[in-house]
Amino acid sequence: MDVDSFLRDPHSRRRFFRMSGVSVAGGSAMFLAACGGDDTTSAPLGPDESDEADVEILNSALDLELMAVAAYKAGAARLTGSVLEAGKLFLEQEQEHADGLASAIKDAGGKPNRAKSAYDFPQLGSQNDVLRFAVDLENTAIAAYIDALPKLGKGDLRATAAAIVANEAEHVSVLLGALGEQQVPDAFVVGKAA
Amino acid sequence: MMARERIVIADGDADTAQIAEFEHDRRELIRRGLGLGGAVVAASSIPLLLSVRNAFAASGGDMEILQSAITLEGIAVLAYGVAIDSGLLSEDFTKVARRFRDHEQEHADALTTALTDLGGTPPAKPEIKDIDGVVKGIGTLKSQGDVANFAIELEMAAVAAYYEAHRKLNDAKLLQAGASIMANEAQHLVVLRQAVKRSPAPNAFETGKPQ
Repeated sequence: MDVDSFLRDPHSRRRFFRMSGVSVAGGSAMFLAACGGDDTTSAPLGPDESDEADVEILNSALDLELMAVAAYKAGAARLTGSVLEAGKLFLEQEQEHADGLASAIKDAGGKPNRAKSAYDFPQLGSQNDVLRFAVDLENTAIAAYIDALPKLGKGDLRATAAAIVANEAEHVSVLLGALGEQQVPDAFVVGKAA
Repeated sequence: MMARERIVIADGDADTAQIAEFEHDRRELIRRGLGLGGAVVAASSIPLLLSVRNAFAASGGDMEILQSAITLEGIAVLAYGVAIDSGLLSEDFTKVARRFRDHEQEHADALTTALTDLGGTPPAKPEIKDIDGVVKGIGTLKSQGDVANFAIELEMAAVAAYYEAHRKLNDAKLLQAGASIMANEAQHLVVLRQAVKRSPAPNAFETGKPQ
């Protein structure tokens, strides 16, 4: 998968969100409308209880995690010192997410997607290039998880997805700190659908 | 002692015998003058986790969860306020604490709007004494490091509460708002942990519970 186009090309993102059952146009508002839910009522939107639906969403998330693993591997050569240490830690954590998702997919009777043989990353010529690219990737993942979260049928999976979102958000704060920027820019972390 | 976990049972039921033992150990530590070490502060999170768990376990509905969350955010606002006024913080750390307090207030405001939209009644505003129900010992903090460690416990408790809430919440928008708030609390944790030279992101799954 071409990461650069995934991040910048709305078609790639749309594919992810379509797979996760969430329309990207209009974001969650669209999702609510599509489900016939009213923003202001407590009517449960009835998460899809089927394992098949969960498997599709989880595999989409797995694709992103595998891409993040590849990105941190590719970027490590440009990192030094404490930033390199952080990069290694984040690589391990993305792999843990991927492993956790693969287990959940198997538990739900599905087949986990595999990593691509090659990813077409943008030119990462400096540590700052890597940090900025990593921030973009993490924000994309956060937005994707938050959009997909309500579609997960099982409470345990929703809680796990939220725990992954929180970890990706931690990565963003560390990366922003390494860039010398405000580490906690907003009270609500929604990521960025590129 | 650092490795000791909070005693919260996965199904939401607390083992009172274990807690009694845990409390005994904690009192022993305090008696022996170990003060506000990480483990001691960690132990003090038990009451909140239990109360939040109980609230979430008891409620079938989103409104009760929202009320718990609003109270928790209100307590965080108060706790950061106490920290800001403590005279223990550097200028830079004061700015951080103000920023985080503002975030907690934004969370409380958004959750209150969501609750009233659902037809619910906002809970009574918490008071300073209620902070003890979340993390004990705010009156005994003696250094900026103590404040940071206290805030870490508070934020961890909040993350844990939102993590658990994701099993119970039904409304799609609330689930999404909960995740985005939980992620913000996790970002607070990064800054606080860095301030006391702890690993900023120790767990791949940030559940608010120590590993």
